[in-house]
Amino acid sequence: MAVAGLGGLGSPASIYLAAAGIGHLTLIDAQRVEPSNLNRQVLHSESDVGQSKLKSATKKLTEIHSNIEVDGIYREITSKNVDRLIKGADVVVDGMDNYPTRYLLNRACVRNRVPFIHGAVEGLVGQLMTILPSRGPCLKCAVPKEPPKKPHFPVLGATPGVIGCLQAMETIKLITGVGKPLVGRMLIFNGTDMTFDEIKVNRDPSCPVCGKHGR
Amino acid sequence: MAVTVKFFASFREAMGKKQESIEGVNNVASLLDELVRKFGEKLAEQFYYSGTRELRKTMNILVNGGGLNLPHDLDKPLKDGDVVAIFPPVSGG
Ligand SMILES: [Zn+2]
Repeated sequence: MAVAGLGGLGSPASIYLAAAGIGHLTLIDAQRVEPSNLNRQVLHSESDVGQSKLKSATKKLTEIHSNIEVDGIYREITSKNVDRLIKGADVVVDGMDNYPTRYLLNRACVRNRVPFIHGAVEGLVGQLMTILPSRGPCLKCAVPKEPPKKPHFPVLGATPGVIGCLQAMETIKLITGVGKPLVGRMLIFNGTDMTFDEIKVNRDPSCPVCGKHGR
Repeated sequence: MAVTVKFFASFREAMGKKQESIEGVNNVASLLDELVRKFGEKLAEQFYYSGTRELRKTMNILVNGGGLNLPHDLDKPLKDGDVVAIFPPVSGG
């Protein structure tokens, strides 16, 4: 299991994976804890500010379960290293805060046939989709074009809490074979009116990532 | 028969409804025009940058589950029975 990004999504996702008794977690993150992270990045505390997120994450997760094996990778994800970083993972959890890196992970997961649990949040809105390579659409099928970059977007901390927990749930479902994964459906959570909705997503035969000419 | 349009998140808040049935449109651009004609400025403000007809980059449209490459795919033809979903993809984590 790999969690890429230990922020608002990666925090609850990895906590619930560790608490569920996952034996081995690969954590990928190259950032340090900042005070503004603390409203949502529940792996880290005030006393961790300035330290690497990997350090506080490893400490927190091994406190939850002493036999968990945590592999920390202190690297920025790039097109060059992404295949190597995710290779061998049973599932990759999307804890990124930007589309370029999400697209890299999406492509690498499709290429290496690793399930990818996509999540993203902003304000009181979140989205979630499980990508099972060769069985359903990928992130690029659902969101073909990168949404504009915003330097700052406020996030109500509980929003990634909701989506990150659902990412952990999708991950646990996949590895245990329980239930029906969120494949070909994008879940939209809107905390403003407290609704959960689904958008049907089909695999695009001309998708540059998972279509005929992709991979 | 008509095209069914489903709105999500901020688009739904602007519309005040979950979905709408629209008749007499033949492509995505004409559908957006018709929606703005029917629902007014508040929706136009969601679709386009203020005072322009330039589509906001925060907009994502799927037709029958297929994501559109906008604005290039605005001329994508629509037919009766098609289901169009409009949502603002979020980016943070
Ligand atoms: Zn695809």
